[in-house]
Amino acid sequence: MSELRRIDETTYEISAEARSDMRVPARLFADEEILAAIRLDHSLEQLQNVATLPGIVDAAIAMPDIHQGYGFPVGGLAATELPDGVVSPGGVGYDINCGVRLLALPVGVEELGERREAFVHAISRSVPAGAGKESGKRVDLEAVLRDGGRVVADRAEDVERTESQGRLEGADPASVSERARQRGAAQLGTMGSGNHFVEVQRVDEIFDPAAADAYGLQTGQVTVLVHSGSRGLGHQVCSDYVKTMDSVLARYGISLPDRQLSCAPASSPEGRAYLAAMAAAANFAWANRQEIANRVRRAVARVLGGEAESGTHQVYDVAHNVAKIEVHGGREVLVHRKGATRAFPAGSDEIPVAYSEVGQPVFIPGSMGTASYVLAGERGSMERSFGTTCHGAGRRLSRTAARKEVHGADLRRQLEQQGIVVRTASNKGLAEEAPFAYKDVEAVVGVVARAGLARRVARLVPIGVVKG
Amino acid sequence: MHEWRSHTAEIELAIETDSEERVFAEAAAAFGELVALGDGGEPVQHDVTIDAADREARLVQWLEELIFLADTESFVPDSAQNVFIEGNTVIATLKGRRAPLEPLVKAATYHGLRFAHDNDVWRAQVVLDV
Repeated sequence: MSELRRIDETTYEISAEARSDMRVPARLFADEEILAAIRLDHSLEQLQNVATLPGIVDAAIAMPDIHQGYGFPVGGLAATELPDGVVSPGGVGYDINCGVRLLALPVGVEELGERREAFVHAISRSVPAGAGKESGKRVDLEAVLRDGGRVVADRAEDVERTESQGRLEGADPASVSERARQRGAAQLGTMGSGNHFVEVQRVDEIFDPAAADAYGLQTGQVTVLVHSGSRGLGHQVCSDYVKTMDSVLARYGISLPDRQLSCAPASSPEGRAYLAAMAAAANFAWANRQEIANRVRRAVARVLGGEAESGTHQVYDVAHNVAKIEVHGGREVLVHRKGATRAFPAGSDEIPVAYSEVGQPVFIPGSMGTASYVLAGERGSMERSFGTTCHGAGRRLSRTAARKEVHGADLRRQLEQQGIVVRTASNKGLAEEAPFAYKDVEAVVGVVARAGLARRVARLVPIGVVKG
Repeated sequence: MHEWRSHTAEIELAIETDSEERVFAEAAAAFGELVALGDGGEPVQHDVTIDAADREARLVQWLEELIFLADTESFVPDSAQNVFIEGNTVIATLKGRRAPLEPLVKAATYHGLRFAHDNDVWRAQVVLDV
């Protein structure tokens, strides 16, 4: 990739002239060490492919946690100008509105004490992985698809402290297929497998006391981080519309370097139908994480008592696989975030009033044995990345390579020796998500901080992990 | 025969057989192998019909059908029998079991999709989102 040139300390760019089909440059936030890891897979080539999308503006942009995906790289974003720029279901991904929610308990790790194992166990019993017809909550699916998290929320504060208040405008349940409904019907409140988890943590260090105070976080406090998405319903919505758009490419005169990038003008019947279905699936995901949070609170009540349950507050909930209509630089664009997180700064009217002076919370999960970060959106994100920052550490090794390095049972013992209680349905799955399979989260967070996209607020370290 | 190949975040299924029909049968067996958590379970069979405009898309739709059955019925396929291809349609009977499985696979993708006949060998590859 000799065309990659360094723009400043944390920004690299491949010119739009590098390939005849690129419409804009491909831009990457990274440092030299991260760049060396990124060059080991095809993610930069995939980023260049994204730069070919009709209607894309400014650049195809990648965060330091970028890694090879299918079509779009994971850790990428693309803004297309409305009304006629394209929408690409692959630019959101199959797990529509995969995201992260942070709950903060009114107890410290000392107070949790020996009840830690019982707490992790109670969560594992309450939040199933969700294979087949599992014990998901039966709900009014139409209402969930239309109105999102508020349908199952017991507290108005949870809704307020969720990106877009847990409800994307324009959701149309009629645009969600019967197959998608069948897949999702029994899965509300379930985690899924792969890299999804519920993690019990301790606030290890505060970097920004004012923001931590606004978020209700203090050193030594117990937190619970929930990572899940729209489950089978969202997967099927994406499958349905990739198929639809694949069939209409010729009609719109669109030629692509990768069939998985299939797209249609956002103003077309196919584009509008996808956006309506995607919004409904995003709403399902917010309801799913809300129901998981409800179940975590019940586990808090069982193990720590009702007072601890009532004092458990939601810090925020962020999506990292979604497309949203936003205004940047005075123009209306559709921002596709695929493994990337919105990070609006202080003063934005899109974030809760309580956070308006410190910026939107962003959660960057580590990888079981390593720390996670709470960040706050910074003004640089609006100037440089359509209000976006990274979403995680980013994979470094394939699942097969990870399994070759460690057996799940051995990894479980290692984590337990580090003081992390582990509950998992699959030791194989645990090995695939081993900490060494990911890039160094500290380095990834360091890049977005130096680039001015987000700043560190707090570091959270795991004390218990529940995996699907 | 089939093999699972490394991919940074996902997994890739590669298949080589002596007939187009056996590509579909091999994909079903491979999928069952991937998601099964053990032996046993209630024997079940499903008659399936797939329609898509090209061969590659038919393979994606075939795998999507397996994913759907896994998600909604806990169906672990062991084999595909009586695979019949006519025009854009694939018809087959999936034999397997209702059993505990790993809810691993989200979707079959079009990324890097191949399905071709070269020198009497049918080769296919497809990336699954996990």
